[in-house]
Amino acid sequence: MTIFNLPDLGEGLPDAEIHEWFVKVGDEVTVDQPLVSMETAKAVVDVPCPEAGIIEKLYGKPGDIIQTGAPLVAFVEQKEQAAEDQGTVVGKLEENAHAADDDFIIGSASPNATRVKTTPAARLKAKRLNIDLKTISGTGENNLITLDDIQQAAAKQSIPPEGFEPLRGVRRAMLSSMVQSHQTVVPVSIFDEADVSAWMGKDDITVRIIRAICNAAKHEPALNAWFDTEHSARKCFNEVHLGLAMDNADGLFVPVIHDAQTQSDQALREQINAFKISVQDRTVPAEQLKGSTITLSNFGKFSGRFASPIIVPPSVAILAVGRLYEGVKSCDGTISSCHLLPLSLSFDHRAVTGGEATRFLGAVIESLK
Amino acid sequence: MSNITLLEAVTQALAYELNHDENIVVFGEDVGKNGGVFRATAGLQKRFGERRVFDSPLAESMIAGLAIGMSAQGLKPVAEFQFMGFIYPAMNQIISHAARLRNRTRGRLHCPLVFRAPFGGGIHAPEHHSESTEALFAHIPGLQVVIPSSPKRAYGLLLAAMRNPDPVIFLEPKRIYRLVKQPVPDDGKALPLGTCFTLKTGEDVTLISWGASMHETMQAAAALEEEGISCEVIDVASIKPLDMNTILTSVEKTGRAVIIHEAAKSGGVGAEISAQIMENSLDALLAPVQRVTGYDVTMPYFELEKYYLPSVLRIKQSVLSIMA
Repeated sequence: MTIFNLPDLGEGLPDAEIHEWFVKVGDEVTVDQPLVSMETAKAVVDVPCPEAGIIEKLYGKPGDIIQTGAPLVAFVEQKEQAAEDQGTVVGKLEENAHAADDDFIIGSASPNATRVKTTPAARLKAKRLNIDLKTISGTGENNLITLDDIQQAAAKQSIPPEGFEPLRGVRRAMLSSMVQSHQTVVPVSIFDEADVSAWMGKDDITVRIIRAICNAAKHEPALNAWFDTEHSARKCFNEVHLGLAMDNADGLFVPVIHDAQTQSDQALREQINAFKISVQDRTVPAEQLKGSTITLSNFGKFSGRFASPIIVPPSVAILAVGRLYEGVKSCDGTISSCHLLPLSLSFDHRAVTGGEATRFLGAVIESLK
Repeated sequence: MSNITLLEAVTQALAYELNHDENIVVFGEDVGKNGGVFRATAGLQKRFGERRVFDSPLAESMIAGLAIGMSAQGLKPVAEFQFMGFIYPAMNQIISHAARLRNRTRGRLHCPLVFRAPFGGGIHAPEHHSESTEALFAHIPGLQVVIPSSPKRAYGLLLAAMRNPDPVIFLEPKRIYRLVKQPVPDDGKALPLGTCFTLKTGEDVTLISWGASMHETMQAAAALEEEGISCEVIDVASIKPLDMNTILTSVEKTGRAVIIHEAAKSGGVGAEISAQIMENSLDALLAPVQRVTGYDVTMPYFELEKYYLPSVLRIKQSVLSIMA
């Protein structure tokens, strides 16, 4: 017999009165089942059953007062556990009535499947070099794929298919700068023409165009600028470092005329001529290929009027000049012939507004009149 | 056929072999009249008599020495050490004589004996009652170490141990003595020694354990399965000799291995398994071999035990750490 004593039903209540029993002797009860309602000085409270079992005795009838801590209910002793002899065991063994069958495979579950044999280091290298281990066969012990095998596979992978020739040198540089431009710049191109009839045949065309760019840059410095993608920041320049796109058999070179705005026409021409030779000879000093703030591409000596020139970061604008041609213009109802210079201006719309670009191009045209 | 516990499976195997091999003798402290401290030998003395099943003095070195002498002269003793923590006074007999009598006599004498001992923690026992020092025995050439983890394997492996011509240390995980009941046919069929048992097949990771920790390992495998990680679970069962073929085949399939054992980490059997995986299957690994083990401290008592024993959570965390 185990006895359940009346717990304190409030805060320090000395006793309680039995209001109503919910169970009787012989009942089988479960944990938390209400046993009895007790009336205290404050309220009527149901007392939950503390353990599962069978009621052996109730200590009182409705109306009786039970002291806190005095017996309330007795349960029949659970005899099952005592019946099974567990010996003079030290400690307590956990039991589980649940029975389960025991399925197991003696030894290995599966035959040895074919697998890629290599070392962790080789695996890592293959991952870095983007080599599929399943595509190569190992030369090591037991066909183990070695680090050398990975290296050779990587070398093989870098050879282009038959009939293709890999890009090298300047051409390769063009590839990466064009890809970089395409990935970052948001280009817009605008097109117009300048009537150069007034001075055609008298002045040096390229020098006049450089002068026009310097003049336009003074009016709209936003196009003579660099843009820092990482920090979303721009830097406008007072001085014009003009990149001059020049072509030779190896590819594209862009030597830079530094401080173009301060130089005389003659000095500009001499520098252009010097670049022609040094580009042809591949002797342009490295520092003359750096620091361009705006680019001029004078492609018109071959063919083509307009283009959508590509901006090379960090600069934000490039002006391309097409083939000079004799055209007609209509002025005040009169048609006349004239010499027209086609102009294509690309600008990076991340850093330059359409207004700035059109005003810049307008200023170039004005200067070329 | 009723469902029985691991403990009852031990009794069933002892009874079967006592009944079928007249050379079997069973003895140890409280083994006879009392039926053993956990009742592993309950009723055997009454059934087979005091000459076959009897009590020894409280002297472990003597128990081992007696068994060695009996086995060298044709009997097949099954001696019980009451707890693995009490086995150390017998170490000299076990290591210096039982393990090497065959070698010393160039095969003229050998020791077909079984030393049984309940081992492992988790039952809130006092000091010396929770040892998991299987690695001490696995290190000794000439000894075989076997640890069952279910009633069926306890029955089949104990029969195999009793029929083995050389000494077997048979360690019984007492925490799961009564935890699970299974139908175990009393057919006298032994399971092979020196073989792992694959309890569950899977693709992503191989969980390797033995003894009571199998229980948490299987629970972790089930929980991981719900997270989409397919676990192959291997019960090593034979700690010495190790069935590395089964382990390597599985690890080469999954590329990942987590070894779970209750014993302290340093110098544990997990280290041996890990080393052999490195030696043979390094090239198949997708991640370093992991070990989830007890700590390098004296086995703590009572409430602290649960922090010492590898838990389902620790096993899961270890697996997840190598799944990336």
